[in-house]
Amino acid sequence: MRDYEIMTIHRPDLAETEIDSKVSEIESFLADSGGSVTKRDLWGKRRFAYEIDHLSEGFYSVLTFQAQPETVETLERRLTLADEVLRHKIVRLEE
Amino acid sequence: MARKNRRNPKPVRGRRYESRRGKPRPCTVCPQGGVDWKDTGFLRKYMSDRGKIRGRRVTGLCPNCQRQVATAIKNAREMALLPYVGGK
Repeated sequence: MRDYEIMTIHRPDLAETEIDSKVSEIESFLADSGGSVTKRDLWGKRRFAYEIDHLSEGFYSVLTFQAQPETVETLERRLTLADEVLRHKIVRLEE
Repeated sequence: MARKNRRNPKPVRGRRYESRRGKPRPCTVCPQGGVDWKDTGFLRKYMSDRGKIRGRRVTGLCPNCQRQVATAIKNAREMALLPYVGGK
């Protein structure tokens, strides 16, 4: 198990409640594949420093979790395919 | 007390420091222990107002911290937290 941190940017046209459930989806995926989420932080809507796909804002969320490297790989793949996620970044946390 | 008189240092035999800038200041990031790439306010301190990453001779960071700050800024840029080009 390794410590990771994931930041996702969801589309701004989703509703606040939808964001919550989308983030929960990620959380439950991690939990189902043997990981555990230690911290959940919804930043809310935030302006971008530059335009992404002609959008100027998005919903930011940050999760801290533990998981196997293979789990992270599949999560990575799923997020790339997900249309509602504009961008994501998974970073390994060092001690 | 000995440190106070920085402007007029006692003459030392031989040249202690290569530059005329005087004594190099210690790295300001090291004591914090690690750099958070999500902390944009902190990272902005190491960028020019055009959004460029400031060089080590400007920031005065140690090689390790400078590298950490630089990658942190790049991470933040990818997530649109910081600009690639800051229109002045």
